[in-house]
Amino acid sequence: MIRSIEFYIDMIFVTAKVWILDLLSRFLPDWMVVFASIVISSVVILCLGPVIMMYLTLLERKLIGRIQNRYGPNRVGKWGLLQPIADGIKMFTKEDIVPANADKIVHLLAPIVIVVPALMVFLVVPFGERMTAVNLNIGLLYFIAVSSVTVLPIFMGSWASRNKYSLLGGMRTAAQMISYEIPMTLAVVPAIMMSQSLSTNTIVLAQVGDYDLHWFIFTPWGIVGFIVFFLCATAECNRPPFDLPEAESELVAGFHTEYSGMKFALFYMAEYMNTFTLCGIAATLFLGGWQGPFLPSWLWFFGKTFVLICVMIWFRGTFPRFRVDHLMGFAWKFLLPLTLVNILLTALWQFTSDLEAWFWSILVLGISLWILVKLNRTFVPEKRKYLLVD
Amino acid sequence: MTVFGWGVFKGMLVTLKNFATSYFRKPDEGGIFTVQYPEEREKTIENFRNFPFLVYDETPEKIRCVACGICERECPPKCIHIEMETDTAGKPARRPAVFDIDYGLCMNCGMCEEVCPFDSIFMDHAFEVTAVPISTNLNKTVLDQKKTKVSAERAEGLVRHKEKLLKSNEYFREIRPALASAIDQKRKAAEEKKRAIPPLRHNASDGPVLGRESTGGQAQPSATQEPK
Amino acid sequence: MEILNWMAKFGTYAVMAGILIFALGVVTLRNLFHCALCLAAALIGTAVIYVVLQAEYLAAIQILLYVGAVVTLIIFAIMLTEHLAETTIRQNNSQSPLAIAGLLGFVALLTALILKTPWPITQTALKAKVSVMGLGKALMGAYAFPFEVISIILIAALIGTVVIAKKDDPEERS
Repeated sequence: MIRSIEFYIDMIFVTAKVWILDLLSRFLPDWMVVFASIVISSVVILCLGPVIMMYLTLLERKLIGRIQNRYGPNRVGKWGLLQPIADGIKMFTKEDIVPANADKIVHLLAPIVIVVPALMVFLVVPFGERMTAVNLNIGLLYFIAVSSVTVLPIFMGSWASRNKYSLLGGMRTAAQMISYEIPMTLAVVPAIMMSQSLSTNTIVLAQVGDYDLHWFIFTPWGIVGFIVFFLCATAECNRPPFDLPEAESELVAGFHTEYSGMKFALFYMAEYMNTFTLCGIAATLFLGGWQGPFLPSWLWFFGKTFVLICVMIWFRGTFPRFRVDHLMGFAWKFLLPLTLVNILLTALWQFTSDLEAWFWSILVLGISLWILVKLNRTFVPEKRKYLLVD
Repeated sequence: MTVFGWGVFKGMLVTLKNFATSYFRKPDEGGIFTVQYPEEREKTIENFRNFPFLVYDETPEKIRCVACGICERECPPKCIHIEMETDTAGKPARRPAVFDIDYGLCMNCGMCEEVCPFDSIFMDHAFEVTAVPISTNLNKTVLDQKKTKVSAERAEGLVRHKEKLLKSNEYFREIRPALASAIDQKRKAAEEKKRAIPPLRHNASDGPVLGRESTGGQAQPSATQEPK
Repeated sequence: MEILNWMAKFGTYAVMAGILIFALGVVTLRNLFHCALCLAAALIGTAVIYVVLQAEYLAAIQILLYVGAVVTLIIFAIMLTEHLAETTIRQNNSQSPLAIAGLLGFVALLTALILKTPWPITQTALKAKVSVMGLGKALMGAYAFPFEVISIILIAALIGTVVIAKKDDPEERS
């Protein structure tokens, strides 16, 4: 009995959709029902994305506020819960300024195009048991491919603005995103190797175990992969401390310097939706996705994702911005070799028994980390001696 | 011992601690020290001084000011305007008929309080002057006159007239108790002294404020010692 | 159900038309940056056609490699060579007749190849699905040689860029 109630709560959204489709099939022809099935899923995603983005801004401002000993927004509604709506209204009513020399069409297109990949990646995110919008068998590859397109609209926006800050920001974004895409993709490989599938759903199912706690993060290669993936995800959505593309103190606002009103809001929206989906994928790959004891699956998924988002916000509240050469060096000289070692570790894990595998992986990891740290030691110039002091 | 990446964790611990303690620590212990202004306010300290106001004793008719005009002369930005009241015979009545202070001009120096020999003008604690709608500042006639001229009305907005400036001695005692009690004692002493020495020329005026004799008792520059 | 099929067909043809239009844009537009964007759009359209033909893996790789990497590189190059983006640059040169001849030859070759291939539709081909194991086996087995060749080419390119980008020694220059 208890099991069935749990199951019912677990399946509540799936059941709702089936129920609606069932209702529709009594009045509408077959093809309309198929169409409605597509429309329901896409409408849910199209609403979910912006709503999540709106409340992420609120969450971020609240947490950052607490970290800096302030209350965050708390005026509009209880605990500032209506603040995102007020912000939305503000954005809508703001004047839209297009620079005189700008490439008008591309300038208009860029913010529209940037939202498309951000929304499209929602398709393969498994929100819960049987709650993946499209269960592609190349889900993960699709995710990586679509999110790599994000560079293009950023280029468009930065180039079309005819502004040196925009251009510099765009160049930085492209350099950073391309660099971090490589360790991110390689960090995913161990999870693919162990689950032998590219489908996000199958990867989650590969992490079933006692009490649903057989997550990939509880293995040596899993934790390394997760940390690398998470750092790269932070860099991919240009969040601090990897926020060089929009470094306020140097570049005004980077690639969206010349954007205002709703166009700016779209850039912002894409950034936050990317944050959500990247955290969701990180949870799917290494934290067991919607797996978890007692609670309904979708609650587990959103819980894990929001914990990861909170960690990203925590990063933002803690770290100062990277220097450009450090940023590149970190991706190419540290993360990339580490992911390669990690792939090796996964193979080792596959072909050795449990205890032995732990021993070997910790040994290999320790040695490689030690070597990487030694090789990556930052150049510290010798202390100058001032002759005239004293 | 320095492990690679240890500083990162140390930094994150600091912010985590700050985040957690912001929920239960008191402001002076390192918690949130924001004062939610319209609902909460900081306690105004006694010596806080903003715009000047006029003190009356029991009723607004018993105004301390005698329209001597010293403050008007001393005011650096010249924001005070006083006209003395005259009775039907045209004799000056030693009461202000008009007492306007332009808060828009006033620079809150407190010079008027310093120079007033009659302890009648003091600096107020009220600072939310702009929050008051313009129309309430204007008396009816002014409002009628300037109904059409919005800009003129705006200019008038921060000019406080006598009715608005008058505040009771009780209020004064409330906001600046130390100074108010010192002045009350001084005034009481002066009055008793005046009663002890019978007036040479009685001019039958009832109030101690308006009589020339009482003026004599208080004419010395008032020692408005600010309470510490 | 027929309506859905019809819609899908219409959508596919629309995408194809879009690809052609964008491809035309790539070669005719005066602004180089716009050309690059058109190229990206045409490549994404091709990926959509792959999806329609149920070759999702190919579509994802198409987007990942061509749109994510190649077009980005092209745009980088355009941005770094600033005056190429000006509209006053001539877009053809005296070698165009030769180029047209070469192009016609290539088109002829391609047509011949397309017509010659029997395009068999077999049951195994229809049932073929992308599995990670299959991919791995193909890369390490049948296609091991091209795989390694490509790796060598990429490494050579990497080393080449490092050599070019490296600062010259001041002593060597003198």
